[in-house]
Amino acid sequence: MDTDDNEVQDLELEPGGALESMIIPISEEGLLEHEGVESPRLAFKEGFDERLPSTVRENTRFCNGDSSKESSCEVHEEESREPIDLTAYRKHIFVFSEAGKPIYSRHGDEDLLASTMGIMQALSSCIQNRNQDQIRFMKAGKHRFVYLLRLPLVLVGVSSDPFLSFQQLQNHLLYMYNEIVCVLTHTVLTNVFEKRSNFDLRRILGGSEKQFDALADRMDVDPSFLLGAVRCLPLAASVRDQITQAIVQSCNKVKDLVFAILVADNHLVTMGRMKRYQLHPVDLHLIFNLVQSSQNLKDAETWFPICLPKFNAAAFLHAHVSYLDEECVSCLLLISAQRDQFFELQECRAKIVERMTKNKLFPVIAQSVKMAGYSARETGIFDLRHFIYKAKSSAQLSSPRYETVYLQEDSQRRLIGLYHLLHARMFNSGRPLKILYCAGERETQLGWHMVGFELYATFEPLISKEGAVKAMNKLLYWIKKEEDRLFIMNSATF
Amino acid sequence: MSNRKKVLLKVIVLGDSGVGKTCLMNQFVSKKFTNQYKATIGADFQTKEVMVDNKLITLQIWDTAGQERFQSLGVGFYRGADCCVLVYDVTSPTTFKSLESWRDEFLIQSSPKDPENFPFVVIGNKIDLENRSITTKRAQSWCQSKNNIPYFEVSAKEALHVDEAFATVARNAQAQENEVELYNEFPDQIKLSPLPTSSSRQDNCGC
Ligand SMILES: Nc1nc2c(ncn2[C@@H]2O[C@H](COP(=O)(O)OP(=O)(O)O)[C@@H](O)[C@H]2O)c(=O)[nH]1
Ligand SMILES: [Mg+2]
Repeated sequence: MDTDDNEVQDLELEPGGALESMIIPISEEGLLEHEGVESPRLAFKEGFDERLPSTVRENTRFCNGDSSKESSCEVHEEESREPIDLTAYRKHIFVFSEAGKPIYSRHGDEDLLASTMGIMQALSSCIQNRNQDQIRFMKAGKHRFVYLLRLPLVLVGVSSDPFLSFQQLQNHLLYMYNEIVCVLTHTVLTNVFEKRSNFDLRRILGGSEKQFDALADRMDVDPSFLLGAVRCLPLAASVRDQITQAIVQSCNKVKDLVFAILVADNHLVTMGRMKRYQLHPVDLHLIFNLVQSSQNLKDAETWFPICLPKFNAAAFLHAHVSYLDEECVSCLLLISAQRDQFFELQECRAKIVERMTKNKLFPVIAQSVKMAGYSARETGIFDLRHFIYKAKSSAQLSSPRYETVYLQEDSQRRLIGLYHLLHARMFNSGRPLKILYCAGERETQLGWHMVGFELYATFEPLISKEGAVKAMNKLLYWIKKEEDRLFIMNSATF
Repeated sequence: MSNRKKVLLKVIVLGDSGVGKTCLMNQFVSKKFTNQYKATIGADFQTKEVMVDNKLITLQIWDTAGQERFQSLGVGFYRGADCCVLVYDVTSPTTFKSLESWRDEFLIQSSPKDPENFPFVVIGNKIDLENRSITTKRAQSWCQSKNNIPYFEVSAKEALHVDEAFATVARNAQAQENEVELYNEFPDQIKLSPLPTSSSRQDNCGC
């Protein structure tokens, strides 16, 4: 094993930063920029202020008196499937083919939404036909509609969430598209529709719906999608090094093994990789989602093809996936380019388990997961309630656990919504803001974008601007001091 | 989506304005008929589940506006149809003559893989009226000349034979949709170069 940036004492580097990252850093423009094809971009700016509610609705559902006619579906007499009330949900994601045939809908039975998706496709088709242009965004009352054309697929997101901007919703659609590619590869996706434009994609997507649902929901509550960065499990550097060693040493001679990834509770524990290959945050997020949404991975070692769309959308890699400990906390993915390597990788896994057991590493991981990270109080900054820090060069993210006033799920969602808003305000304005101070009734937030990092912090409501800026500096200093624990600083290669 | 074996078929209804396309669809879907004539703007949609040979099939019906004939709705509208229903009014010879060009328009726009065998169904509507001008024989012989398109004479107003016509639509559409070979072909294995290009990115595809 060799470590790429072992003793980097570069003061230029942000806390948690890396010279050669194992994860591909992506720019502040977000994920859209990384799309191979031209990305639809906003032609206008968005103002949020007018419609920002001062308090979050208690109820995530809302009612909209006269909009029940949106679903013009007819149910077969003896069927129990009910057409859903589309307005009863805050966010929808629809996926359909260019022919307007439903493929996926987050809520409701997609067959019963065939008319709705037909209309969506007809709109898109007419605009394309008449204006040689694409439909991108629509607004109807408080609902935003975002289209993402990734032919042969069309994705539409609908949201009434005032915290979610057009771009953020579009970002969700991109993730959804990548998730579908992850299951099928871009090659298969385009081939089936080239052969038959009336193809019903659900035939070959069968079984993936849970994964899609999980992703659609996860994006609402996990800021790592927003920031395009990966969350690491806090661990003492010496412990993490031992784990990394156990993995890398066990996998050293395996041909075509590209990545060895250890995941626990949606956090990256460590990663080994083939020299010169990096993982894109989107691919890692899809891997996390796969692990999180597939309960059956806990039952046995599994071997399946997986496409990592940012790594190579054209083809499958092959993953050996297994939990390493009895408690099913640590999940290992050995990802190879070869399709018949199960037994070889099974041996690697056995060696990893042996080494990690010998060094008693599983209880340490389990303990960190149980702690759910760290407390904002550890920073010693009195007025600080919560923060999210992203080290840009290493595409890693760190934030303390939700505590005190953010313990309840709805207040957590509200806080996450506020971060989305802060993020959108800083990026969406004609000239991006470097620093933004937002004093609210219930909390005060400060966003700070510097060359190497993004920092979003939440303070007690009465903190002054000067106080907040001072606290931010102190926080940065603390993160720097703790970086070995909060981030994966050593990038290990086979 | 996963376990239930669902079939969804896209059906496009074409024909001159006023022949009764919208009424037919409403009669079939909602068992309703109104005498009011309200021009369809662009396109309208209905879904209806039917049982055909013990199989539950969802029909996604795309109703079009006849007056839009020379301003095409775009390929996105026609693409991926499983069946095309051509409607004329048995009391109006011009609507019958138009069938030919509606069929051509559809085949050009949707460019199906096998145009000769693409499932069409022809419906002669308004047989409740006295003043019919196209005989059954004449319509049938046209249908025969087009590779035996199934032909139905119906009345949307009196709900005559509407369900039978759409049952055939569902059955024929499903028969051709069924022919699909299973696409479980695997794309090629990824070739790893020990030292990929300097950017260390591996974007082999354009998505
Ligand atoms: N007598 C009679 N009138 C019909 C029938 N079907 C439709 N109509 C009438 O024909 C007119 C046009 O119908 P519509 O469905 O709107 O035609 P579309 O333009 O093809 O959609 C309306 O006034 C209908 O009431 C039918 O079966 N019998
Ligand atoms: Mg009409």
